[in-house]
Amino acid sequence: MSLAFKQETFRDDYTFRNSPEAIRRFPFPFPEDQYMYSVNIEPHTAGPKGAVTEFTLDVDEHYVAECRDKAITLEQDPGRCASLPHMMDAEWDFLEFTMESLARDYPEQFSLSKNGKAWTWINRPLGIEQSFVFGDAATLPMGPFEYMGRQVQGDFVLLDQREDTLFADAGIVTSQADWSLAFNVGMSWNEWHGPVPQVTKLGVMDRALKFLMSLQQANPVRRLNWTMTINPRLDTSPENYPLWGGDRNKVNEQNAGELAHLRVELQTLFRMPRSNAIVFSIRCYLISMQEMATYPRWAKRFHRVLRDLHPDLVEYKGITKYQQAVVAWLSRFDDGADIGTGTQPE
Amino acid sequence: MERGYWIRSKPVYTALLWNDKATAHAVLAAGDGGLAVLKLFQQALPEQPITVFYSPAGADKDYLPALQAAVDADLRVFATTAELLAAWADYLATARMGLRIYTAGTEKFMWDVTDAAADFGILNQDVMKELTGSLARSVYCVHCKSLTHEVTSNIATCSGCGRQLFVRDHFSRRMGAYMGLMVDAENPGEVPQIEEIYP
Repeated sequence: MSLAFKQETFRDDYTFRNSPEAIRRFPFPFPEDQYMYSVNIEPHTAGPKGAVTEFTLDVDEHYVAECRDKAITLEQDPGRCASLPHMMDAEWDFLEFTMESLARDYPEQFSLSKNGKAWTWINRPLGIEQSFVFGDAATLPMGPFEYMGRQVQGDFVLLDQREDTLFADAGIVTSQADWSLAFNVGMSWNEWHGPVPQVTKLGVMDRALKFLMSLQQANPVRRLNWTMTINPRLDTSPENYPLWGGDRNKVNEQNAGELAHLRVELQTLFRMPRSNAIVFSIRCYLISMQEMATYPRWAKRFHRVLRDLHPDLVEYKGITKYQQAVVAWLSRFDDGADIGTGTQPE
Repeated sequence: MERGYWIRSKPVYTALLWNDKATAHAVLAAGDGGLAVLKLFQQALPEQPITVFYSPAGADKDYLPALQAAVDADLRVFATTAELLAAWADYLATARMGLRIYTAGTEKFMWDVTDAAADFGILNQDVMKELTGSLARSVYCVHCKSLTHEVTSNIATCSGCGRQLFVRDHFSRRMGAYMGLMVDAENPGEVPQIEEIYP
């Protein structure tokens, strides 16, 4: 995929669009016609060329615009980045991990040179060149976690492992599906997932926790999660709910193709070497119904998933008000044909 | 919706029980937490020194005479929970490994005690808690970040920004509070009936 970075917005006039190449590589999350939560965790191994999983961290055509949107959100609400005092080792782990991954996988855009502890980082798309001393936070313009968190697409949470569970003790969160970092920071795994319906009954969270506690260095894992968002808005935070909540009333059968977006999170988890913390990356991909329907197989699939979604999940995902409008809009693509299993577009 | 109003992220509070693998014991109670302290002192007492911090503030009943009679230990009484918590922080500064901590009272009080202990590296799981008296909740306004205390209804008026907040069944131990979210953001003026469900 070419890296021609787009000028676009994720608020106000919402000029965000996906190129045909971005649509084709969209991480469509539905291999079957029905959807229910499961521990759909798999090794984060390199995917095919051009796929969102080709590299450790995915940089795509929206990189510059997303980093700009993140900076706006952080300026309006600095509480979107938080780190408890004992997380400093994990912060440096995060900086090293992101710098090394980006420089290795995208050498034309990023470079990192090291001379002992004297490091120089170059980020060409954002026009940044920074020399600093690794381990000395005073040599960076801000904490190491926030510094690199601002230069990578998506949200990041650093999980500390103790008391037989994981604690979300640091985060930079500006493109979240309606959860609050300021509220959740410091929470244990079970407290964090308290509001998710159906999962207690299914035992999903207990099994996922057990699995992640034994996550090893060099063996990262990933899963996809999804919800829907009206307008291509990254910042659907509870903090700003008064700004975006009303958009749910605007969807009808005519405009659903344009307004309603499938929001897919590529969640990846990496064990860090110094702190033993886990980096939890939550990368958001947006696609409008119109863009999705350029591949009728996807439109058919999503029509069936959304139509038959468990009522608890419809409510939890905040889809209740516009579910019928989107299902009606998508129905024109669904001839009822068997499309088999798998997430491929064609 | 699950049966009743079960709160999934709400911590499990048990009855207080002595842990005799200890070098010392600290018992902290406020208001109706006094009853939990009386029950604790009906159990076989541990051999190690015991210090009791009690504030009668907010109690429905006067537990103080009963406590003074029953507590064969260092009983320290405070007029307000703020004074109690200040004394607790001073005590922690001189405490040693092996201190066992027991607390009883409202949710807010117990988490204030726990937070103070956390500043000294004591894990939440090492603080035994018994919820007594009111089920009232503290609510964190996710919009203006203010805390509103003593909320007994499903919808509360934010003490900071005045918004009507729907109280989500999501509890943060660090804040000792539930999340409050503007209830009529999608449809301004549409506020559901307010019910007193946490008396």
